[in-house]
Order: sequence, then structure tokens, then C-alpha cells
Amino acid sequence: MPRGKKRVSSFVQSRLSSPPPPKKGRSTTVSRRASRNECAPEVFNQKACLKWFQEYSQNDDPNIMGPDGVEKFCSDIKVKPEDIVMLVLAWKMKAKQMAYFTQEEWLQGMTEMSCDSIEKLRYKLDSLRNLLKDSATFKSIYRYSFDFTKDKDQRSLEIETAKSMLRVLLADQWNLFPQFMKFLDESKYKVINKDQWANILEFTRYVRDDLSNYDYDGAWPVLLDEFVEWLGKDNSMNQSEV
Amino acid sequence: MMKGNGPPKREGKMRIRAFPANMDEKYVDTIWTLLKNAIQEIQKKNNSGLSFEELYRNAYTMVLHKRGERLYTGLKEVVTSHLENKVRQDVLQALNNNFLSTLNSSWSDHQTSMVMIRDILMYMDRVYVQQNDVDNVYNLGLSIFRDQVVRYNVIGDCLRTTLLELVARERRGEVVNRIAIRNACSMLMILGIDSRSVYEEDFERPFLQQSAEFYRLESQKFLAENSASVYIKKVEARIQEEVDRAQHYLDQSTEPRIVDVVETELIKKHMKTIVEMENSGVVHMLINQKTDDLACMYKLFSRLRDGLKTISECVSKYLREQGKGLVQEEEDSKQNEAAAATGLPCSGGTNAISFVQKLLDLKDRFDHFLKNSFGNDRIFKQVIAADFEYFLNLNPKSPEYLSLFIDDKLKKGVRGMSEQEIESVLDKAMVMFRFLQEKDVFERYYKQHLAKRLLLNKSVSDDCEKNMISKLKTECGCQFTSKLEGMFKDMTISNTYMEEMKEHLMNKGQTCVSGVDLNVRVLTTGFWPTQTVVPKCNIPTAPREAFEEFRRFYLGKHSGRQLTLQAQLGSADLNAFFYGSMRPSGKADDGASGGGIEMASTSSGTFSVVGGSKQPRKHIIQVSTYQMCVLMLFNNQDRLTYEEIASETDIPERDLIRALQSLAMGKSSQRVLLKHPKTKEIEPSNIFCVNDNFYSKLHRVKIQTVASRGETEPERKETRTKVDEDRKHEIEAAIVRVMKARKRMQHNSLVAEVTQQLKARFLPHPMVIKKRIEGLIEREYLARTPEDRKIYTYVA
Repeated sequence: MPRGKKRVSSFVQSRLSSPPPPKKGRSTTVSRRASRNECAPEVFNQKACLKWFQEYSQNDDPNIMGPDGVEKFCSDIKVKPEDIVMLVLAWKMKAKQMAYFTQEEWLQGMTEMSCDSIEKLRYKLDSLRNLLKDSATFKSIYRYSFDFTKDKDQRSLEIETAKSMLRVLLADQWNLFPQFMKFLDESKYKVINKDQWANILEFTRYVRDDLSNYDYDGAWPVLLDEFVEWLGKDNSMNQSEV
Repeated sequence: MMKGNGPPKREGKMRIRAFPANMDEKYVDTIWTLLKNAIQEIQKKNNSGLSFEELYRNAYTMVLHKRGERLYTGLKEVVTSHLENKVRQDVLQALNNNFLSTLNSSWSDHQTSMVMIRDILMYMDRVYVQQNDVDNVYNLGLSIFRDQVVRYNVIGDCLRTTLLELVARERRGEVVNRIAIRNACSMLMILGIDSRSVYEEDFERPFLQQSAEFYRLESQKFLAENSASVYIKKVEARIQEEVDRAQHYLDQSTEPRIVDVVETELIKKHMKTIVEMENSGVVHMLINQKTDDLACMYKLFSRLRDGLKTISECVSKYLREQGKGLVQEEEDSKQNEAAAATGLPCSGGTNAISFVQKLLDLKDRFDHFLKNSFGNDRIFKQVIAADFEYFLNLNPKSPEYLSLFIDDKLKKGVRGMSEQEIESVLDKAMVMFRFLQEKDVFERYYKQHLAKRLLLNKSVSDDCEKNMISKLKTECGCQFTSKLEGMFKDMTISNTYMEEMKEHLMNKGQTCVSGVDLNVRVLTTGFWPTQTVVPKCNIPTAPREAFEEFRRFYLGKHSGRQLTLQAQLGSADLNAFFYGSMRPSGKADDGASGGGIEMASTSSGTFSVVGGSKQPRKHIIQVSTYQMCVLMLFNNQDRLTYEEIASETDIPERDLIRALQSLAMGKSSQRVLLKHPKTKEIEPSNIFCVNDNFYSKLHRVKIQTVASRGETEPERKETRTKVDEDRKHEIEAAIVRVMKARKRMQHNSLVAEVTQQLKARFLPHPMVIKKRIEGLIEREYLARTPEDRKIYTYVA
């Protein structure tokens, strides 16, 4: 799966083929919200915003911004594609598919943030980053990123993709993260399902790093039970080496 | 306040003077002296000359005239001085001689005199004593006697040592004056005045102490000198002795106390030692079938709170060892398993039967103990059951073996057991079944074995089979047996088909097709342990034609059904001719077979002859369908390599090897083929030919299929995988069932509930249940509640 692998390197890039899902049902509500915001033209200029979008949209389908467009967009706002803020942005736009923005998503998200130019958005980035500090918002973004990242025709996230997503989301805030990655490498898991995904975050939040409050009967997915068991073995091995 | 006499009355009116309206001290002194003398006379037993009425009146007068106190103190002094000066002296003099009887007679004298004195002073008892809340006359006498005599320094000690000495002497076997002791004890009780404190302090406590000391020493001596069973008998005797003693001459209330001391010293402190005594303890008794000794021990130990627990622990330990031994013995025969895996004959079958038989024997042994030694005690019952459950499930093959055991009993055999005997063995087997945790595995094997019995017509009787199934039904419910019952139904319906088929052929003017007498069993998919992927097999022409005829007939009746031949389940009878040792020649087999919608068939057929000068020997050979396919090849060819046979018949390798093994490498009386070279393993290049020198006393030769009993290791693994797969579905079904009813449930209660529901079939590991829950979450049958991960909801 070379495509999958490539996607790993920077999660927003790549994705050469596989068409984006232009969901029709969604657009009506979006446009209604957009029209509501039109009454404040000095704050937000919808036309400018759309024009901005068209700088990135694909030639064959002007309603969609593809991977190339996204890459250009990233460099315009001087953010690396794998920066977590891109995830927040996607979440704001309620983007359905990684590396693609539809016009409706764009308009809806930019309207909400009141951004119609590169400068405005760049100015906004810090406040977007700050959103991550709120634990409820983070949880929502975390959960959103599962559906955002996975192949639309699959139930689960392929393990390599999941790992790079976890790296973006959790590497900085979970001390056991390196061990968890090592565990996944050694395990035979090929995919992460939605329940496992959601519970990994819960686990990072509720189980202490020394596992002292870990409860075997705590209804953790077996994946995490096995991780705990693996940690135990790993530790004892390290100790015996010492 | 004592102004009894007022001023002289003025009026000369006639007045009734209040009887001694006024008493001067002199008069009081007189009366008192009178009374005092009388009391002293009574104490000297000279009471015959006294007037009770007069004395009573005098005492009455004194009390009436507020001289009660004087009377009371006076009495106290008189009694005290009598006891001090007379009685105590007497007792002291008898200290070393006749002490107890002296004391006892003083005591009885004292009692007699005190009764008389009490009677004289009854009025004081009624008035003065009650008003002033002091001891009544009699009790006053008791307390003075207690303090001045019984507890008077050396006397108290002497009394105690005397009594203890007497008891000790009796314990040593001497005869003692029990009545004297009894009197002394009752005296001590009475002296306690409404409490047993005097008895307790002056006698019982030291007595119990001394007894404890005595028995402590004795227990050591006993333990060192005796075996457990003798020890127990001695203890029993000692307890009885102490009970007698307490009943006969101590106070009754001492009985439980002294018994407790004996129990503590002789049993409780040595419980473990006795139970675990080498060469005589519980284990020894169990090994040597000492039912009565065990019963004694049970009786004795049941007196103590932890007594039975101690015995049962020891029994349990021994039982587990035994059980584990039996179970592991089986494991040791791994070589057999390995042999079976490579396809060589294995003794797995007989092993399975002896395995179960040994367990049943063990159960019988312990049931015997339970009934005859342990009085069907609940504790022991539970312990035995728990232990059997423990070690029976140590061996994962137990379900298979149990089914094989039952198979063995239900098979037509040479054993010639009566139906009642079979019935009772099956009942015992059911007891084992109850201990099985993996009942679903048992079901799977039972189905396999039952299928074989039914298809090969090996059942001892339908009644026995149905009886067994009804036992399983009672135990596990009809869900467990519905498929088994379906198998019986198939058999009945198949018989009808065969009748109809015969009629059908008759109408066409035939008796059989291609000389094959075909018998087909139509098996419903799902009821039988058939394989979904039907192994390939090239059936020889004649039987194949016969089967096709049946297929046309059957599908004509039931269009839309599918009929697959299950060759691995069929069998065939072949007519065979062997042409002696004169010269090599062919032999011919013919016959037919079929297999089962899924069908199995048995058939018999004719033969063909390939030359030969001598009178051929004719046999009927009973073989499996696969073997028939192999043998029929030799009608056309003298010799064939393994490879040729394999490609001609298309039989799966494992089955073909097994078929050839029993044809060419079985018992010599069953060896109808020869293999070159005569090695143990079958190689692709090995050559097979007909054994013309085949000889058997029997006309009808049954080729025993090797390794047909007991599964080989790969098969076992296959079964295990299937079972695991089935369990996944069963667990999921249980989870959904529970969640559908409850809608919302906490993780642990869900796991517990599911375990409970499935317990009757197997014990699912919590981890496995959890995996199934996750699977259901993934497929969106369940969801975690947003507020608490540990609570699941049912997604309709």
C-alpha cells in the first residue's frame, strides 16, 4: 500500500486519487449559516473568501481543494502540513476527508472563524492552537480525527496511519507514548477501530503513568489490557538486564 | 426514735395493754439468753427438750420490740463462735485423716441446725431481714460456714487439693469415694448462694486448669505412642469419662466446660498433627479403606468448629493428588498421541475408557467414604465435587474421553452388559459430565460418536441411546439435545425411504441396482457432524450407479433438495475370494457404499473372479467406503503403488493412509493387502497387492479401522478451533440477549451475567467476553455511554 505509506509521512499530503465525497445533504445547512453571517460584511467578506478558495481549488472541479491545493494553502499560511493546527482547522471546517476541502466546508469554517484572507487566518492560528488546551474540545477534535483520517469505505484505521495520527495528537502529552508505539510495532494489530481509538485517549487521561490506578476490570479494550501487560513484561525485562 | 413508752395515761378507763408494751433491757437479756442457749443446744444436737413455740414467741417478741438487730447480731456471734471453736477445730484436726468425710458431716450438721434455727427465727426472717435488706438466717449461716470453715486458710487449700487428688486418682484408674466428692461439690455450689462463684473459684477453675495440664501431658504421650486411630479412640474414651464424671459427682454445669478442655487439649491443639499423621492419619485411612476409623475421626472432629474443615482439607489434598495422577497418567501417554498423529494405531480408545473408569472408581471410593464415614456431610460433599471438577478439567481431553467412554458402553459389544448395568454406568458417567466445564466440547464429540454408532449400526439399543439423551436433556435442557434427537429422526425417516425405494425398484422389476444392495441414510445438514467441504472420492461404478438411482428417486420426491455423498461415513460389505497359496492370483471385491442431503450407506455386492485353479476361499469383508474404493481397484490390477491408489480413488491423504493401514498393516487375520516393502510408514512409492494367502477362521471378516477411537492431535486441534469459533457466536448471542433485555449495563455485571448464562456449556474467559463486546461495539450493536466508558447501551 504505497499510497497509505506516503500518507503517513505527512498526514495531510498525498492522497492522489480517491475522489472526495461531495455530500449534497450537508450543503443546505451550511449555506443557511453562511447567509446569516452576510449581515456583517465589514468583518467577513464572503466573496473574498470564495475567491481565496478558488486559488487552491482543482481545475477539473472548482468546488474542491485537492492535496496540491492544500499543500499550497499550508505554505501560504506558513504552517507545516503535519502541524496539529491543520487538524483543528479541518475540524473547524468539518472536513470529511483528509487532504480535501470542499467549497461548502471552506465557506462554513472560514465564516465561523471570520477569516477571508491569509493574514486574518494567520492571525487566528494561535487562538486555534489554544483550543487544544480545553480538554472537551481536544476530545472532540481527537474523536473527529478518526473519521477524518480513515478510508471512507473502512470501519477502522490502518495501523500506520493511526500511529502517525496519534503522534500528532498525543506525543507531547502522554509520557507512555513511545512505549505505546513500540508496543503497537510488536503487536499483531493491523488496524485500530473506533472504540480502541476513543479509549486510547481515555486511557492517557485516566491511567497514571505508573499504572497504579489501572484496573483490569475497567472495561478497557483488550488492546490496552495487552499494552499494560506488555509494559509489565518490558519493565521486568529491563530490570533483569540491570 | 425508740420512744416506745409514752407518758402514763390519764384516764382510768379499762385499756388493753399492748402486750409487752414496754420491755426493759433486762427482759430482753433474759429472752436473748434463752434463745442463745436454745441455739447452742441445737448446735449440740440437743434439741429434743426445746419448745419450738416458746422460742418462736421469744424471737417474735424481740423483733416486735425493735430488738431485731440485737437478735440478728447475737445469732451471728453464736453461729460464728460455734463454727470457729467447734466445727473448724474438728475439721482442722481431721486435716490429714478423714478430712473429706469430717467436713461433709460438719456440713450436713450445720445445715440441719441452721434449718432449725431458721424455723425459730422465722419472724425475724420475715420482718427484720426484709426491712434491713440483710442475709436471711439460713444464708447467714452459709456465709459464715463458708468464711469460717471452708475458706479458712488451710482448709480451703486442703479441700481443693483433696478433691483434685481424688479426681486425678480416678483418672489413673483407682476407685474413689464418688459420693464424698459429690457432697463436697454440692456444698460448694450451695455456699455460693444463688451463684456458682464459690464452686467456680474454689474448685472448678483449678480443676479445669489441672485437667488441661493433665491432658496436655497425656496428649503428648498418646501422640508419641499411638497411631491416629488409636489416639482417636482414646480421646473418645476420655471424653466419655469426663462426661460421666461431671454427671456423677461434679456439678452438671461443669460438663461442657471440662469437655471443652479435653477437646482443646486432645484434639484442637493437635488437629493437624492427628490428621496428617504419617502412616496412620487421614491419608493412611483413605488409602487403606479404614472407613470406621474415618467415621470415628469425623464424629470426634465434628465437635470442634474447624475440625471438619481440617479433615476435609486433608481429604481434598489427597483426592486432588490422586485425581491429578489419573489425569496426568493420561498425559504421559503422549507417545500414543504422537503415534496417532502420524497415523499409527493408537491405544487412545482404551486409554479413554480406562481414564474415565479410573475416575469413576475414584468417585465410588470417595462416595463410599462420604456415605459411611462422613455421614453425607455437606462440607465433604462439596469438597469432593469441587476437587473432581478441578482435576477433571485439568485435562482438556476429558470431554472427548467421557464421550468415548459412553460410546464404549452404548456400542454393541462382547461385554454383554444388561440394560440395568448400562443404565447405572451411564448414571455415573453423568456425574462426571456434571463436573465438566466444557460441555459444548462434550456435545461435539458426543455427536460424532453417536453418528458413528447410528450409521454403522453399532448401537446396543435405541432405548439405551434415548435414555442417555434424556439424561443429557434433564441436565442441560432441550437446546443441548435437539440436534441429537434430530439424528434419531433422520434414521427413522431413512428407513422409510429405503422401504419406498425397494418398492420403487420392485415396480420396475428389479431387486437391486448393478448388483449392489444399497442402504442410504439421509442426514439433515446441521444435525450431524458432517463436513461442509465434502472430501472427494471416486466411487466405483457399481455402487455409484446404485446411488445415482437413489438420488433420482429421492429428488423425485423432494425437488429442490441437495444430496451430497459423505463417503467418509459409509461402509460396505464385500464378497471376496482368495486363491490360496498355490499361486498368486487376484481376488475380487465388489460391493457398494454411499454416504449421505448428506447420506451414508452400507451395501453388499457380488464379486468377480480372476482365474485360479484351486477352490477359492470365500469371505465377506466388512470395510469402510474408502476401503471399498481401494479394494475394488484390485479387481482390475494386481499391484498398485500408493500414488496410483491415491490418484485413482482421490481419497484425502489422511483418510487413505488410515484405510490402507488397516487393510495392509492391521492384525494378520485382517490383512487382506500386502505392502512392499514392509516398513512401518507408508511411502508414496510403496506397492500394494492382494494377500492371496489371506486366512481367517471367520467367514465374515471385519476390518477394524485403526485409530478410529480417539482423535489424533491434528483432528483435536481442528475440533478445538471449531469449538472456539462456535463459542464466539454463543458469547455474542448471550451478550446481545442480556443487553437487549437490560438496555444499559455496567461492564462487570455484563461479563458476570454472560458467564452465568453460558456456565451450563462452558466457562468463558472474561478476556474472551471482552473481545466479543468490542466486536459488537465495532459492529454497532452496543455502544459505550458518553459519560461512562464502563457502561454499555444496546443499540437497537
